[in-house]
Amino acid sequence: MAEVIVVTSGKGGVGKTTTSAAFGTGLAQRGKRTVVIDFDVGLRNLDLIMGVERRVVFDIVNVIQGEAKLNQALIRDKRVDTLAILPASQTRDKDALTKDGVRQIIEELSRDFDYILCDSPAGIEKGAMLALYFADQALIVTNPEVSSVRDSDRILGVLQSRSRRAEEKLGRVKEHLLVTRYDPARVERGEMLKLEDVQEILAIPLLGVVPESESVLRASNTGTPVILDAESIAGQAYKDAVDRFLGEDVPHRFLEPERKGLFRRLFGGRAA
Amino acid sequence: MSAASRSANAPPRLEPFRLRGANFNLLVLRLLDPRPEVVVPAIGDQFRRAPGFLRFAPIVIGLADLEGVAPGEVDFAGLAQGLRGLEIVPIGTTGGTPELRNAALAAGLPPLRQVGREGPDEPAPPPAAAEAPPPPGPVAVAPAAAARPALVVDQPVRAGQRIWAQGGDLIVTATVNAGAEVIADGNIHVYGALRGRAMAGGAQNTEARIFTMNFDPELISIAGYYAVRDGLAAAPLGRAVQVRLEGERMRFDPLG
Repeated sequence: MAEVIVVTSGKGGVGKTTTSAAFGTGLAQRGKRTVVIDFDVGLRNLDLIMGVERRVVFDIVNVIQGEAKLNQALIRDKRVDTLAILPASQTRDKDALTKDGVRQIIEELSRDFDYILCDSPAGIEKGAMLALYFADQALIVTNPEVSSVRDSDRILGVLQSRSRRAEEKLGRVKEHLLVTRYDPARVERGEMLKLEDVQEILAIPLLGVVPESESVLRASNTGTPVILDAESIAGQAYKDAVDRFLGEDVPHRFLEPERKGLFRRLFGGRAA
Repeated sequence: MSAASRSANAPPRLEPFRLRGANFNLLVLRLLDPRPEVVVPAIGDQFRRAPGFLRFAPIVIGLADLEGVAPGEVDFAGLAQGLRGLEIVPIGTTGGTPELRNAALAAGLPPLRQVGREGPDEPAPPPAAAEAPPPPGPVAVAPAAAARPALVVDQPVRAGQRIWAQGGDLIVTATVNAGAEVIADGNIHVYGALRGRAMAGGAQNTEARIFTMNFDPELISIAGYYAVRDGLAAAPLGRAVQVRLEGERMRFDPLG
């Protein structure tokens, strides 16, 4: 049986899709058979970030409505061969998703994959509810900012009460905190919430801290999951998070502001 | 909410019964005249116009207004019989002198204690009513409204969640986050930070209190009296605090 992992946050723009792409790719790089499902029906971003947008023929709604077979809609990644993507539809709305349809897809994928990552849309409407409903584990993506933390708190409450595990009393959804866009310099200046503050409010285990980095935007624009950029500190942080997820003891990095040396100060070096 | 640890009804039940505290809403029939032959026909007259209104209604007999009436003067057995004749079911008494209550008990009407009130009805038991040593004499068998189980929550109460401890206290061993709401008819204890809304004492229990290890609420209310965050400038925010009502004012005292 595959583990179903929802990547969710409540708030939009905090890095759910970036995380889904990076984390899914990271798991696949470690040899895990991984599929990432885009639940953001109507917007469809995951295929862009993973660089497969030109290969989309069918999507999740086609599969649910019986217009295509699951295998026809799955896109195999060309860089990592254990990775696949199930794209969202851009021309339908979220009402096209049904619980039974999603259940069938997840059951079918369970036979062929180790991990099923569900990239949730923002909000707590239908698409987000379906993305988290079947989850065994959850990556809670949070920015060090008050409204993002509040929304993540809300989503944690929903996970505890309205997921399949909660409804069928199968035990808790295992929660992981992933703080993204963390800028230690701004935290030091008091412009961002401290990591400890975020942890104190959400009170779930910390899986990783991904620093703010220009490489993320570059990665998105080129359709390359940032974890494939070995130079990028964000990519390295995602790799650490994947390693921790798979049970390795990896110390947290990138929590302190970078002290620029004279050379970098003169030439305006920036975090890669 | 699933995190609440009050439900424990796993299927294989071995014991034949369980004893639980519960609260009931009861009508109190306050006697102004000790004589059943006066009271019972008067009730019959009053409710003849609304037949069935009190049919089989459990009723508590209020003795507080029978000051100066000797226990021998009240025919409790006759009263109970008369009420049953009207299809009203007397189940106990409230208030009155210990002598009167003993006389009623002898007629099968045990004294009941009112929840959240130690006022005129009760001959001043010490505070902390739930653990109070029982009053002397047969009064000790007061059956209803004994210790009610508190609702215990061991997980953070998160934004958007609302927890209501109906008819009792609420104990949260974690934090109550901003955007969450905790409500209790009794006291509220938060052994973490209280950052959301807390409403204690239901609609009328002005004796209820709120305790927290870190007082940082959005709104706080006791028995309907409330204060929003903007009104808490003078309160000891960020500290361990207990909140209570003093008349119509809310009082915030640091703990520890």
